[in-house]
This record gives sequence, C-alpha cells and structure tokens, in this order.
Amino acid sequence: MLTKRFLHSFRDVVVVGGGPAGLSILTALKNSPKTSHLECSLIEGSHITKIKEFDDPNYTNRVISLTTKSIKFMQKIGNWNYIDQERIKFYDNLFVVDSQDKDANISFTNDSIDYNPMGAMCEILNVQKSLLLRLDDINSTTENKAEIIENVKVEDIVNPPLNEELDWPIIKLSNGDTIQTRLLIGADGYNSPVRKYAGIESRGWQYDSFGIVSTLTLTTEDFNNVGYQRFLSTGPLGVLPLTDNNATLVWSTKAWLSKILKSVDDDMFKVLVNAALRLDEVDLNYVYKKLEVDPKDTSVIDDINWRLEEMENKKEPSSFWDDDNEIPEVETLLPGSRAMFPLKMSHADTYVAPRVALVGDAAHTIHPLAGQGLNMGQTDVSILIETIEKGIDRGLDIGSTLTLEPYVSNAWPMNHAILGVCDKLHKLFGNDFTPIVAIRGLGMKVFNNLTPIKDMLVKSLSV
Amino acid sequence: MFKGGVRNARVITRTSVRYHQTGTSESELSHFNALAKSWWDVNGPQRILHKMNLLRMDFIRDNIRTHLKLNPQDVKPEDEVYIPPYNVDLLPKPIKENIILDQELRRNEILGANKLKVLDVGCGGGILSESMARLSFVESVQGIDLSPEVIEAAKAHKLKDPMLKDKLTYNLQSLETLQETFDVITLFEILEHVDYPAQVLLEALNRVNVGGWLFLSTINRDFISWFTTIFMGEHVLNIVPVGTHTLDKYINHGEIESWLKENGDKFKLVDSKGCIYLPSYGWKFTSNEKVGNYFMAIQRIQ
Ligand SMILES: Cc1cc2nc3c(=O)[nH]c(=O)nc-3n(C[C@H](O)[C@H](O)[C@H](O)COP(=O)(O)OP(=O)(O)OC[C@H]3O[C@@H](n4cnc5c(N)ncnc54)[C@H](O)[C@@H]3O)c2cc1C
Ligand SMILES: C[S@@+](CC[C@H](N)C(=O)[O-])C[C@H]1O[C@@H](n2cnc3c(N)ncnc32)[C@H](O)[C@@H]1O
Repeated sequence: MLTKRFLHSFRDVVVVGGGPAGLSILTALKNSPKTSHLECSLIEGSHITKIKEFDDPNYTNRVISLTTKSIKFMQKIGNWNYIDQERIKFYDNLFVVDSQDKDANISFTNDSIDYNPMGAMCEILNVQKSLLLRLDDINSTTENKAEIIENVKVEDIVNPPLNEELDWPIIKLSNGDTIQTRLLIGADGYNSPVRKYAGIESRGWQYDSFGIVSTLTLTTEDFNNVGYQRFLSTGPLGVLPLTDNNATLVWSTKAWLSKILKSVDDDMFKVLVNAALRLDEVDLNYVYKKLEVDPKDTSVIDDINWRLEEMENKKEPSSFWDDDNEIPEVETLLPGSRAMFPLKMSHADTYVAPRVALVGDAAHTIHPLAGQGLNMGQTDVSILIETIEKGIDRGLDIGSTLTLEPYVSNAWPMNHAILGVCDKLHKLFGNDFTPIVAIRGLGMKVFNNLTPIKDMLVKSLSV
Repeated sequence: MFKGGVRNARVITRTSVRYHQTGTSESELSHFNALAKSWWDVNGPQRILHKMNLLRMDFIRDNIRTHLKLNPQDVKPEDEVYIPPYNVDLLPKPIKENIILDQELRRNEILGANKLKVLDVGCGGGILSESMARLSFVESVQGIDLSPEVIEAAKAHKLKDPMLKDKLTYNLQSLETLQETFDVITLFEILEHVDYPAQVLLEALNRVNVGGWLFLSTINRDFISWFTTIFMGEHVLNIVPVGTHTLDKYINHGEIESWLKENGDKFKLVDSKGCIYLPSYGWKFTSNEKVGNYFMAIQRIQ
C-alpha cells in the first residue's frame, strides 16, 4: 500500500518490544479481519524467535497468574491453542495469611460461585512462544505478513522535518535502517523509549524492595490447586502451584533482607523459605541477624529446624491450618532459577499521543504481589485493538488521537484502580505497628466471613 | 415544497442563474475561509466537527451495511445467507454468532464487489471526505465546496496521508455544475449555511443513483437549537466559532420528512437520529430527531 521513498521504508504500524504485550498486539492486529490488511512490523532487541525452540522440561522462573479474562482474550486472538497446556496449572484457591496475627487469614475460593478456576499459573515464556507460533500460523496463510525484526535495537525516534508532508515518526534502528510509521506502539517495557519520544510522563516510585523468584519442588505432591501467600512485615511471600509437585516462588522483601537472601546458597535459601512460611517474625529476624554476619553459618539451618519442630509440637488442633490447608514445604530449589529484581510502581499520565500508543509495562509497572502485570497488558491490548478496529470502521487515520483517545478512557481508570489497590496492600502489610496489625487482622477475619464481598473480589481478580 | 417555510417562495425556478441556486452569501463563505488554517487542528476551533464525524461515520456505515440486500435475486439457493425470520437474539449464542458472522462476510463481499462513488457537498477542510475515502468499500470520493481557502486546506491535508492519494479529489465547484451521479452523497452541516437549503437538497437528491444514499445533518429551527448552538455553543462555551450559525436558515426535520412523503416513491427516509453535544463527552444520539441537531439517511429506491 505504501511506496518506498527516500531512505525510509513505510509501515502502518510499528510495535517496539517483543515481550508478551508487543507480541499480543501484533497478533491481535493480524488476527482481526478489520486490521489484517495493515502492514505491521515488530522490533525487538533480543533474539526472541529462538523461544519457539524452547523445550527444557524445567520450569523457567518468570511465572505469572493468567486471569480467565486474559485466557478468553488469548482464545480470541488464537494463541491459546498454542499454549503448552502441560506447563500450565489452573488453581482455584488462594490462602492469604498474616504473619502478625495467626487467626487473620483470607481464603479466596471460587467454590461459592459456579466452578471457575481463579486463574492459571503460566510461564511468560510459554505465552511468548504461543504468540510466536500463532504468528507463524497466520503468516502461512497471507501475503501481508507480520514482520519481526529481531536482534535490532531502536536507537532513536524522531519527527520528520516540519516542511515534509508526512508527519509520521521516523524510527532509527541499530542496523542502520529507518522506518517511518503511521502508528507507533510502545510495548517496550519499563524504560520505554517510545514513551520518552512521545514526552509522556510516567509517575511512580521504587519500593526499596526487591522481588525474588525461583522454581521449587514441594514435598507434598497434592498441594496442587492451592496458592499460598503470607504477608510478612518485610513484604508478601507467595508460593504458587505448578504441575505435579512444582511450584513457583514470588518473595517480595526489603532491600536489607534481599541482600542476605542473595548471599546465601541454595540449601540455605530453601530452609529460609520454609522458615518464612511458618516462623514468627521475631524468630525470623533473629535468624537474619546471624546470616547478616555470616551467610555461610550452617548452624542457622539446625536452629531453624529445631524451631520448626517446636512449632509442630505446639500446633493446636483447632488452628486454621488443619490437614486441608497444609502450609507448603519446599523440597528442592531448581539450580540457577533464583533471580532478583527491584520492585516499582509507575503509571503513565496517558497512553496516547499523536501517532503513539503505549501498552503493557511501558504504560504501567505494578508490584508483583497480585501477579497482575501481564494481565493488565493483555487488557490494554484487548482495548487497543477494539479502539483501532473502531477507528478503521470510522475511516479515521489510525494514528490520530481521534482514533486513540477512547483507548485511554477505557483502559486508564481501571489500571489506576488496580495499581492503587496493590500499592495500598503493599503499604498496609509492610508494617508491624501494632494497631495497624490489629486492624488489618480484624479486617481479614471479617472479610473471610463476608462471602458476597469476597466473591466480588475474586471475580474482579480473575474474570 | 417545504411546508410552512418562507423559503418555499425563494426556492425552485430553474431559470435563475445556476450558481445562485445552491449558492451561499459572501459573509458565510468568508467565515469559513477564515477557519481554513485551523481546520485540521483536532483540538482547535473545529474540534466539535471532528468529534461529530465519529458519530456520523457510525451512522453512515450502519445504514449502508444493514440495508444491503444479502440475497439478491440471482443468488443460487445454496449460496444464500440465512436470515432468520425472527429476532436473532432469541437464538442460542453460538448459533447467533455464526449467523451474524455469515451475514457480515456476505456484506463485505457485496460491498467489496460494488465499491461506492461518493460526493461530499460542502466538504470544508475534508473531515468527512477523508474518512469516507479510507473505507474499504468506497472507490472514490469527490469533495466540493465554494470556499477557496477551505478547499486549499483540504488539498494540503490530503497529502499527509498516502492512502488518500488515488481515492480522493477536491474541487472548488457548486453542486449544480456537476454532471455525474453518485452512490452516496453527503450534506453534512451545510444546509444551515446556504441561502436556499431546499434547492441544495433537491439538486443533491437528483444526483443519487438508484439504490444509493443521501446522508445529511443539520439543525432544527427551534428554541433548543438557538439555545445550544448559537447561545451556548458560540457565545458561552466558545466551542463553535462565533458567526457560524444563523437561526432563520435552519430547516426542520419535519419539513424534509413531509416533502419526501409528498414526493412519493422515489426516495425513502430510512433513518433519522437526533444528536446532542455534551462538552465532556462528545456527540451522542438522542431519541428525538425533532429537536436540535439531527442526522438523516435517505435512500433512493427507484
Ligand atoms: C526480571 C523480571 C522478573 C519478573 N518476574 C515477574 C513475575 O514473577 N511475575 C509477574 O507477574 N511479573 C513479573 N515481572 C513483570 C512482567 O515480566 C511484566 O509485567 C511483563 O513482562 C510485561 O510485558 P511487556 O511486554 O509489557 O514488557 P517486557 O516484557 O518488559 O518487554 C519489553 C520488550 O521490549 C524490548 N525493548 C525495550 N527497549 C527496546 C529497544 N530500544 N529496541 C528494541 N527492543 C526494545 C525488550 O527487549 C523487551 O523484550 C517481572 C519483570 C522482570 C523485569
Ligand atoms: C460547517 S462546514 C461543514 C464542513 C463539512 N461538511 C463537515 O461537516 O465536516 C460548512 C461548509 O459548507 C460550505 N458551503 C457553504 N455553502 C455552500 C454551498 N452552497 N455549496 C458548497 N459548499 C458550501 C462552507 O464553505 C463550509 O466549508
């Protein structure tokens, strides 16, 4: 449709970033009969297509919880068929407990509503792979193929000189090529070069906290369908089920603790996870003090095991964690699967500018405690594709803000609410000041007995 | 002609100078000349027109698509699209979705095979012309206007989108000098600016092909219209440039409606909708086309 002119080549849409958000919008554009005629390219700095060959039986450490809503969208654009179902774990129960108050807990289940899993634990890699395979499938049936330009970085994005007729942004690539595009979609993650080009402010903060992820195996094979999350004053620790006795760990901690957790070896780390799932915070802090001095201090392991045994003996039969609600116990840690990243929260002031739209982490980053990061990106993509389809139906220029504005009004407020809730949860639980602990404990207890409200929350988290 | 209109007396008689039959006063035209520069600033003085364009494109598209003959006479029975004799909403969801998808595909097929020729009368800077030209089922769009400046602005803006190059042309020309006929003729936000609206309407209708459409929007001549478009729009909210409207040029929905009835079988008023501008929202359809702004879809049936 567009002709070569000067040095640039031309596209209708250029997507920067081949993460889950970027690959999803590219797939959605090529999947929709209303937009499949558009000439689309995706630019990614790394070698993403090699993900298609991935078949390591071990789980990778970046695992997210897909909501039913995300799954429905993936069915719509067709990549769900290519998801490796053997590596997916549906779960229907999430227990949340408070370290400061044994009796405070929330049990999220979907039993009270008609059966519907709360979500599915799934590797980010599995999502990306399914999208790449779906794109191959689409490309095999059309002349107008989706193009992936990989191992190439976007080095600069500039506006054409004012006296030129075409006001489309020009993208300069590390391989020397330049592309001029009608619509530029930034799916380029937290540091989004596209967002910077568009001059869109992103507001947020670092939490002075880090997320630690790892792949685990548990001692109990039938732990299975239940996710377990414990709120500690250093941050929430979650163990979420994968298939068989595999599980994934998402542990948010304060900077000082993450330093210790980084310095210990795998054996010690495993024991520390088991301890953090069970012991009182006073005991934990004692242990951490010792490790701060010497991370190789193996006496700590004996000390922890002794405390855990004591606890087991003292266990009251009436306690909430009866046989049905066993606290998961880590058996092994997959070597090399432990990774750490800084936690931050940010939200762009808007998602659009003339000829620009942002999706996924480029638009917002969220605390991983709710596992919503990727799901929010999927929602962005589902709203953006509908917005572009509507623009096409109306004969608008798809790069015009007249086309793009409804995307912001439909996506931004909900994302803002989700970001706000997670931020407040983080702050509320990252606290050991007694009155607050008492209030939140009371809140949890009351909450647990209010089935209708819980149902509502479960619905909005999962549907 | 139009009931109860003073303008009845002014209309018709094809003997007078052709230019003036669908003409517009100098002061009207110089008003639009002055607006030409900012026409395409979507956040500028014409923002309200840009926003209205979203709604009218929905109106045009919906009407054209829903009134297609899905099973024309010559179609083989096995190729017929199923059209349930009752409301599809009563059917189970998957069946309903399949029927709708089937019908959508047929619509695309029909529209793809008979692409439409469009004339946009009083095109201004080309907001509607460009949108029409981007539709896949439109073959060509011709935009005409009597203001040289806005035609220049339209031509300049067209160059900003390579997609429009071969589909869109603009001419400084009056309606009655056009010899061709069209599948779709649009008269948006122009009838309230011309001296003889009935004449413009008639000239336009005469150039619609059988089966083709005339779409228009204008304003009822009533207190609400005066209040919203002139008093609020121009003087209080400043969302429309002052001097855009003159109340006595407004033409009522009922006047067009009864004229179409009296003039029998050639044209059919297929759809009309009232609409209103809400400052923080944009344009919205209302349930009453007899008050304020309204859209009309007229189809030529023979
Ligand atoms: C280390 C880490 C661990 C995480 N772990 C979890 C977790 O366990 N659970 C969870 O729910 N969430 C986790 N997240 C968050 C989750 O990964 C994100 O929410 C999700 O990946 C966002 O997807 P995205 O497509 O928007 O962006 P990204 O996945 O960040 O993708 C952006 C892409 O853009 C590319 N790119 C950027 N700039 C350029 C450029 N100039 N030129 C070319 N390409 C460029 C990058 O290479 C990257 O592939 C983690 C994030 C990180 C960084
Ligand atoms: C309010 S603008 C509407 C522009 C365009 N139809 C739209 O809605 O986007 C009215 C336009 O009608 C033009 N106009 C007025 N009288 C006309 C006439 N008699 N013939 C053609 N154009 C006319 C004006 O120059 C002006 O550009």
